[in-house]
Amino acid sequence: MGEPAISIVEHEKRQEWWWAAEKKRSSRLDYLRKAIWKKGAIGGLYPQGLYVDLERPVLQTEKARELESSPDPYVIKFAKILAHVLDNKTIFITDHSQLVGYLGSLPNTITWDPTLAAVLNHEVVNDPTCIQEPLEESLKIISEVADYWAGKSDLDKIMPYLDLDDAMKVLSGAIGWGVPLSRGGYSGKDYEYIMTGVHAFEDIIEELDRRIDEADEKAHEPGASKEISDLYDKMNMWEAMKIALEAGIRYAKRYARLARIIAENYETDDERKEELLQIAEVCEHVPAKPPRTLQESLQYDLFIQLFSRNEAIEGAWPARPDYYHGPYYEKQVNVDKTLTKEEALDLAGEFLIRAAEVSQYKVKWAREGLQGIEGTWVWTLGGVKKDGSDACNGMTIALLQASRLVRVANPTFAFRWHPKVSDEVMREVFECIRQGLGYPSIRNDPVLIANAMNWHGHPIEEARTWAHQACMSPAPCTKHGFQPMRMANATVNCAKIIEYVFSSGFDNVVNMQIGAETPDAATFTEYNQVFDAWVTQMKTVFSILVRPVNRARILAPKMTPRPFLSAISERSIESGLDVCDPSISRGNAWITAFTWVENADSLAAIKKLVFDEKKYTMAELKEALANDWQGYEEMRLDFVKNAPKWGNDDDYVDTIMLDCLHEAAKFSRELKCPSGNSWPILPENVSGNIHYANIVGALPNGRRLGDALYDGGISPGPGLDKKGPTAVLKSCSKIDHISDGRAFLLNQRLSPTQLAGEKGYQLWKTYMKTWADLGLDHVQFNCVSDEILRNAQKDPEKYQEVIVRVAGYSAHFVDISRKTQDNIIQRTVQGLG
Amino acid sequence: MPKCEECKNFFPWEDNPRKGDCVERAVDPRQAYYKAKPVNADQDSADCSSFQKK
Repeated sequence: MGEPAISIVEHEKRQEWWWAAEKKRSSRLDYLRKAIWKKGAIGGLYPQGLYVDLERPVLQTEKARELESSPDPYVIKFAKILAHVLDNKTIFITDHSQLVGYLGSLPNTITWDPTLAAVLNHEVVNDPTCIQEPLEESLKIISEVADYWAGKSDLDKIMPYLDLDDAMKVLSGAIGWGVPLSRGGYSGKDYEYIMTGVHAFEDIIEELDRRIDEADEKAHEPGASKEISDLYDKMNMWEAMKIALEAGIRYAKRYARLARIIAENYETDDERKEELLQIAEVCEHVPAKPPRTLQESLQYDLFIQLFSRNEAIEGAWPARPDYYHGPYYEKQVNVDKTLTKEEALDLAGEFLIRAAEVSQYKVKWAREGLQGIEGTWVWTLGGVKKDGSDACNGMTIALLQASRLVRVANPTFAFRWHPKVSDEVMREVFECIRQGLGYPSIRNDPVLIANAMNWHGHPIEEARTWAHQACMSPAPCTKHGFQPMRMANATVNCAKIIEYVFSSGFDNVVNMQIGAETPDAATFTEYNQVFDAWVTQMKTVFSILVRPVNRARILAPKMTPRPFLSAISERSIESGLDVCDPSISRGNAWITAFTWVENADSLAAIKKLVFDEKKYTMAELKEALANDWQGYEEMRLDFVKNAPKWGNDDDYVDTIMLDCLHEAAKFSRELKCPSGNSWPILPENVSGNIHYANIVGALPNGRRLGDALYDGGISPGPGLDKKGPTAVLKSCSKIDHISDGRAFLLNQRLSPTQLAGEKGYQLWKTYMKTWADLGLDHVQFNCVSDEILRNAQKDPEKYQEVIVRVAGYSAHFVDISRKTQDNIIQRTVQGLG
Repeated sequence: MPKCEECKNFFPWEDNPRKGDCVERAVDPRQAYYKAKPVNADQDSADCSSFQKK
């Protein structure tokens, strides 16, 4: 006898939202959701059953060998390699699916791009977990591929042109992560050009042909000039773009052909046959021509994302899916009535699933920093249109509802709140939060639009088109506003700033001088000396990380071009320049500030206990930190318990936080990107607080080496915000969210019991009104009870589908490390009302 | 020596019958699907475990 069936209502009462979702969703979505091979690393290792796809690196390598003696310039060779992969890789169509396309050759493969970095290739060679049997044969292929690309990969080519001192400090892994590559970071897209139904691949190819013909004619008229010389490079670039787009069209047609073959030769179910023929029609139409239906629009978008990831490792997925797919939804569901809401919901759900599957082999530190997920696919919903009116539409609601049915941890949503959002939409947003998804995060649209205009000079219409470039940073989706590549290594492990104040910039963990050689902290007799040293260390560390990115952005167009991304970018099509060329970009860089709040809490503790109360000397504190607080436990507890902590509306520490932010903001305006714009900071963490736990030494806030760092952004330390949610908001509101930095992440935990029913919604709405009135730019919620999280730790098999908000992303609770799990449980559950 | 074009799984391209798709049904622990890979019609399939004479 099996256990009696439990009703959906009962599951919901027990907050078992995942079981309720399974019963609510269509049979198609149920099949496709369960068909997902989860790709996010667990404990830095890929889950069992996955393996590194060797087909693609073999195709890339064989084509590269063939082209070695070709007279083609590099950008054309690169485009031909991309085309060779798309023309020859194995493709598949999953049963019940309506959308097609995957990066790898089979559903359980992780793609590996050997052209990026030898360091990545070495990790594949030595990976103990996901090499396909027979092992010897696979290792032979991997070694041959890795050997071929040694010295030829992007990073190998770029490195000699970087400052060696900076490069070594970046690669130490102590102060930042990521590498300065145009094919390894977060790629925004010119969605206003490619996703508005005006231009598709055939239109662009026609435009490219025209430009090549015109340039060719001009280049051969009597005369000589720099302009004429430049035309040769431009013609090559346009040619490479064309090769990439034509390959994309052929790739889609391969799916059309496969769908027809299945329908005509294998499928016996008439309904499925019709669906397959529909897939064939869709793939014959897009991406060659602009979409006509919601299915075509989603398929078109998916193809674009896949092509771009065939060209680069993209660690994020900037998108605004309700805004760009919404017109097709409205037309088919509400005007023409050619699609039911349920059918649209199936398509929206499958779109989320297709994105959830995407995977690219990453180095271990990246896998550890993004526990349980493949990258930060934070999709942007809501917001305003260019004219300032509400942009929410039927697709906004469909995507929010679909997310509750398929419950994937990646992609997640971030919702652009503004005063004109309807109550209907806000209820849908709230329902996702209440049901424990950890998303959408809520963004304050008016504040962030003003912020974009303030920091980077985006005109208001451009600023209003923004989508998340990664977890948090807004970037417009326009011709000059979008950022083609955010190189992740401008990501600062900021806790090192205060650590270096006590070591005069010497890093005792990686054993090298990284920071500035500031005076011996033991000799400081005034707080101002500490703060001055902090400012010097902050400037030094920021500069070390920003310089390689600037350099790589300048080198990228020639050394590491992006022909496909260029081909869907109006500014490149017009100019014939690579999309990363700084001369055609407005420039909207930012410095991600991991582990930021530790600085304010540490400085406050020093000011109060050393200089105000004179309980300890700087020499004693330096000694205690050098000993990782060992033998100084009483003193350590004093620094934990008796020093003011950020997040309690306490001006003592809040003023110090503002001092730090103001110094950083001032310096941000001195740091310039190659386009001439500023480098504002953006405090947030992903799971860097755990990744860096063993890299950051003891700190004056009482933290020891190995302890988890705070969960990030401007979130108070877990359990240290003792005065309730309004005090947290008030502390955060002292920051100017327009001019003090680019954005500020705030994690909050709410009680699921308190959020139950209509009363729960009204409580949350009141909280959100306070949040908006105080001018914060971000907040995100965990809404899963301690009981469920503890049960999931004890019995993970039963709680496989519990999702939590880690930092700028969500993950399945069972897929993150015990340390991260504990860190989330430790966060204060805020009582509302 | 059998060639791909003699196999039931071979579907020639209309624009170039010397090439075609090798189409196979596959079932893994999570999902079932059809997969396709381009092959040459005259490719040797003696070692192909999926070969099925037309």
